[in-house]
Amino acid sequence: MDLRTLLAAVLGVGLGAVFLVSPEFVVQVQTAWRLPPDRGGDYGSETQPANWLGTGVRVVGALLVAGGLYFAWTLV
Amino acid sequence: MRHLGLTARMAIVGSLLFALYAIAAVVVMGVFGWPLWLVLLASVAFVGVQYKIGKWAALRSVGAREFPVEQYPEIDARVTSLAAEMGIEKPELKIAQMGVPNAFAVGRKGAGTVVVSTELLQTLTIDEAEGVLAHELSHINNRDVVMMVLGQGVASIVAIVAQWAVLLTGDNDIADFFLAIVVGQITQMLVMLVVFAISRYREYVADSDAAAVIGSGEPLARALEKISRGTEQAQHSEIDSQVNALAIFGEKRGLARLLATHPPVEKRIERLRS
Repeated sequence: MDLRTLLAAVLGVGLGAVFLVSPEFVVQVQTAWRLPPDRGGDYGSETQPANWLGTGVRVVGALLVAGGLYFAWTLV
Repeated sequence: MRHLGLTARMAIVGSLLFALYAIAAVVVMGVFGWPLWLVLLASVAFVGVQYKIGKWAALRSVGAREFPVEQYPEIDARVTSLAAEMGIEKPELKIAQMGVPNAFAVGRKGAGTVVVSTELLQTLTIDEAEGVLAHELSHINNRDVVMMVLGQGVASIVAIVAQWAVLLTGDNDIADFFLAIVVGQITQMLVMLVVFAISRYREYVADSDAAAVIGSGEPLARALEKISRGTEQAQHSEIDSQVNALAIFGEKRGLARLLATHPPVEKRIERLRS
């Protein structure tokens, strides 16, 4: 069994799940201190990504899960 | 103001980030044959560009404009007084229409800018606004923006190096490309968890400094309470029409709190009043 392909499968599905479950975290990681703090949210609250951005992140998450499952399938 | 807790935490986090950066630098030197000076120069340029672009983008994206001193003379006077008490150069004050009560600081000591939204000035009393402004000035005084940009920069550098390490040690097949992207993303997220943790603590420190400089934590606590109450009401009115959006981006629970850059507002209020 190819270890790197196995890693691609497991980590791909795992990362995809994070993108699907917590898109705001993914946006936060990429934009924190690159965009205005608290933008889109009230003072003292977390930045809330726009709905279109959240949807985009979830689409990428679905692609990552699909990619991970594909590599898992190639190992079978 | 000296904060032993912050110093200790920064020493731990700083050492961890430096260790990660050192590993990344050694990998770059080994794999690409870059000399140390080039690695350092590229790193400084990378973080410097992020800092400059970040400040410019932050001001531009909210349409920040010159603060109308004639309209809010008391606010301007309080900022002048707060800066003098903190012993820092008065930051540039700007105003923007953000659609929500908000304020943020960008830049560094001596070249800082504080942006307040018109909605914030309309929502809060002068004393409450002073609490918010004192908090933002504390961020500049404590070099929070610079430190966090540095943390974000290290996270990006380590992630890029991890990605390349996977690519260059593989067979260049499709699984390797996929794995490289995934490893890069995961690495950045893990490093950012550490940066977010220190960011949450820095919020408490800025609150404490703000309370110290104005002599009480009550004005800022009231401001947070007022804004938080307004948000809750807005969210409740949205529930009917946007249940889905609220479920995803609404209340922070469990893991989501670990991933936040700000501590929970209720905890900040509690600390300010304790």
